[in-house]
Amino acid sequence: MATIDLDEALRYLGVRSDPDGTMRGRMAELAEELQERIAPRYALRVATLTRNDAGMRLEGAGVILPGRLAQTMLADCGHAAILVCTLGAAFDAWMRTMQVRDMANAVMLDALGSAWVETGCDEAEKELAGRFPGMHLTDRFSPGYGDLPLSLQPDILAATDAARRLGVQATESCLLIPQKTVTAVIGIADRPQRARIRGCAHCPMRGECDYRKGGTSCEV
Amino acid sequence: MRFDASKLLFLDGAMGTMLQRGGMKPGELPELLNLNNPALLEGIHRQYIEAGSQVIYANTFGANSRRLRRTEHTVAEVVAAGVTAAKRAAEGTEVLVALDIGPLGELLEPMGTLTFEEAYEQFAEIVRAGAGAGADLAVIETMTDLYEAKAALLAVKENSSLPCMVTMSFDETGRTFTGCTVASMARTLEGLGADAIGLNCSLGPKQVLPLLRELCENTRLPVIAKPNAGLPDPVDGHYDLTPTEFAEAMAEAVKAGVSMVGGCCGTDPDYIRALHEAVRTMTPGERHYKPCGFVCTPTMPVRLDGVRVIGERINPTGKKRFQQALLENDLDYIVDVAVAQMDAGAAILDVNVGHPGVDEVTMLPRVVKKLQEAIDLPLQLDSSNPDALEAGLRVYNGKPAVNSVNGKPEVLARILPMVRKYGAAVVGLTLDDDGLPDSADKRVAIAERIVEAAGQHGIPREDVWIDCLTLTVSAQQEQAEETLTAVRRVTHELGLHTVLGVSNISFGLPNRPLLTQTFLIRAIGSGLTLPIINPNQKEMMDAVAACRVLSGEDVESRGYVARFAGQQQEAPKPAGASLTLDEAIIRGLRGEAGKLAKEALTTEDELALVEKHLIPALDRVGEDYEKGVVFLPQLLSAAQAAQSVFDVVRASLAEKGGAPEKKGRLLIATVQGDIHDIGKNIVRTVLENYGYDVLDLGRDVPPETILRAVTEQGIRLVGLSALMTTTLPAMEETIRQLHTLPEPPVIMVGGAVVTPEYARQMGADYYSKDARQSVEIARKVLG
Repeated sequence: MATIDLDEALRYLGVRSDPDGTMRGRMAELAEELQERIAPRYALRVATLTRNDAGMRLEGAGVILPGRLAQTMLADCGHAAILVCTLGAAFDAWMRTMQVRDMANAVMLDALGSAWVETGCDEAEKELAGRFPGMHLTDRFSPGYGDLPLSLQPDILAATDAARRLGVQATESCLLIPQKTVTAVIGIADRPQRARIRGCAHCPMRGECDYRKGGTSCEV
Repeated sequence: MRFDASKLLFLDGAMGTMLQRGGMKPGELPELLNLNNPALLEGIHRQYIEAGSQVIYANTFGANSRRLRRTEHTVAEVVAAGVTAAKRAAEGTEVLVALDIGPLGELLEPMGTLTFEEAYEQFAEIVRAGAGAGADLAVIETMTDLYEAKAALLAVKENSSLPCMVTMSFDETGRTFTGCTVASMARTLEGLGADAIGLNCSLGPKQVLPLLRELCENTRLPVIAKPNAGLPDPVDGHYDLTPTEFAEAMAEAVKAGVSMVGGCCGTDPDYIRALHEAVRTMTPGERHYKPCGFVCTPTMPVRLDGVRVIGERINPTGKKRFQQALLENDLDYIVDVAVAQMDAGAAILDVNVGHPGVDEVTMLPRVVKKLQEAIDLPLQLDSSNPDALEAGLRVYNGKPAVNSVNGKPEVLARILPMVRKYGAAVVGLTLDDDGLPDSADKRVAIAERIVEAAGQHGIPREDVWIDCLTLTVSAQQEQAEETLTAVRRVTHELGLHTVLGVSNISFGLPNRPLLTQTFLIRAIGSGLTLPIINPNQKEMMDAVAACRVLSGEDVESRGYVARFAGQQQEAPKPAGASLTLDEAIIRGLRGEAGKLAKEALTTEDELALVEKHLIPALDRVGEDYEKGVVFLPQLLSAAQAAQSVFDVVRASLAEKGGAPEKKGRLLIATVQGDIHDIGKNIVRTVLENYGYDVLDLGRDVPPETILRAVTEQGIRLVGLSALMTTTLPAMEETIRQLHTLPEPPVIMVGGAVVTPEYARQMGADYYSKDARQSVEIARKVLG
């Protein structure tokens, strides 16, 4: 059974050092409650990739991925999966109550929620890998990374039938509701894929990152 | 037309699947086919009729103004064409044509930004078009938000005379995506006047079977099952049941009492034919509806099968701080009061906002909406103003209670119709034109009259709660026994639930908690299920916990043990003895800080308390935060401890008839299109606790609203937040508009995607990295 990565949640919260474990202790308790109350859910759709002038096209899914990031990430791939993972409306409702009750706990819960939905994505990736034995997955990447536009969100939700299957919708400005929802693209290739998303070299925050200023990294 | 729960009625199967087979392209709006290819639709409907469908759903599921906005067609056109195509297919048969109404595709508040009233208007437009085109009935389906279903159902009932079926989608946890339970759905929609209710989509017939059984126990209405053709494969999306398997599983649903059957995603005429074949000779299983006292929100069904505490604190009577909050429109304060009662164990909250200078007709619905954003307890709307009650009932999400009616014929005639229309429970006070009766006999007689009048309006007995009225024992000693006798007789002879405002009993006597608690225990012993009390009073909740053990409701005394077992260990407070107010704030100890502030006020005045302790303590935490020694949660804990100090200061000043000196006013908002507001809320928490008067306009705020507030209220500092690159243009536009003012306010901006450079480019005066920096900026600008 997968659990919340506390280190990741602490990073989201900006906790750079926690020598006596105070923060970790406070987070661990809340993490347990979160895991008990809410499980991430996801939907996947796999499609054949073709290339045209507009970008990388997921056949039959009504999704075209424009730009260089998709081109680079999916260079070796004959197929790609799109993924939608969410903590659902229950998390948002809990956050609303928590913000009234205790704002300090609310920001911790928010960070834990971000970590938990990422764990959900990891689980989805495992399932995907299991469906394609012998194949290799790329790092997952999302609208908003590099030049992959946020305007893809509605198409991604439509392709995965996410409104009906997961209760996820996009607003006019392409924000996802419920708030702890991640969409991502994962390429499926027949040869090993090197990491392209993780690490400082690929990070859009590298210019203004507090960890780097302090001489460390967030270790993602 | 009324549906008959004892006779089977066959519905149709999926439309989307059939349209794709008929050549609809991905991304195409299915409803436009009503105009572009009506023959295709007519053909599909005909196939379903030939397969045995007696009700066909017109292709109008998504024909709403939002989806059609980018087309050249109106809702009226598209809906009329859809209904017409279905009617042509049904011509010469007895098949009924349903106007199909799906979710609007935009989430309602508080999840999204669409208001209940806007949703209602969109549905009303569809209903008028469908009724005008000659639909025989309306179907509201695939709903996951009970609030949206309510808006749609009200729209059908108020804009047509069509019978209305409502089905919602549940997942395997027995809830919809928004957390709505089967019981909440059933009892809310039946109360609102649906003609049949049920489940569609989401799962296969096997998975919905337990949910259908639960539904059958929670409604008197005919029950509908229109599930998918099994479960979809998570990777390729294909459904796993064949027509025969589907039909076999559906037979079980019919045995369980379901009378209206069809299919949703993945089903086609073959499935409907197999279903028809398999079950047409069956009679729906016998139903076992269990009437019970019940109120709810979507996520919190509350059955009155034991003592349920109604929290009385949302009421301005005799509470200066509450009155001030109402007059200043400070709804956050009211939400705080609600959350405290919820955490103390209240099951239902009474909501009364009546006070001179407050317009209850606008305030009650506002408070109802605000409360249901943050808490999931059912509400009891308490007002003597019928218009306010109606306005509150309309926007309530779930099944509420109304406080109150009494035995006066004109009150019953005015209030009961709205109780019926909105499916509420109602409190009946045992008094009438002759005033307050002095005997149990007379109280019981009035109770009988109230329940009879309710029955005439179609309100079932279990929804009538009788208040036998508590009188002050120091003034009318003999009345205490009369009240208890009346509670006993109403409970046992009339079989009704009773409500009692308990604390009245002890006015004017010393050691009130003891007297009130004793009366409460005796009243519960007499059958009281709904005590109206202050749940923050430990003695009362302790008594309720004990009564629940003795009645057997608290199985194995688990609740009691959980409540009391930990209490001995709470005592040690190492630093407690020597803890200073400053330390309590720095360490974020809310309760301690409040206590120490009260003590400090015996030697210092309010201003000194704020200037010499609160602000310096917050500053120290702020500096540590900047150094990276403490982090955001600790900063906020300190801010919240400061809040409890402020509450003490405010209460102390309110007692003297004053209000706290505010440092200066600023406005904050999350810009239009953006709904992520935690960052803005953090900033508010911290600023408020530095003594700034923060006008928080919320999230998704249009530039015009901000401009108006700035102009009308002479705001000098505006804080804007945006989380996504897609909403940065809205931030820029807001700044542009603010700069058109003759004296533009100072503007600070922040949020995940905002950078110092971008802030400059947009013309903001300050970039605020975090909540701490916003305090520095506020100091510079406002002092």
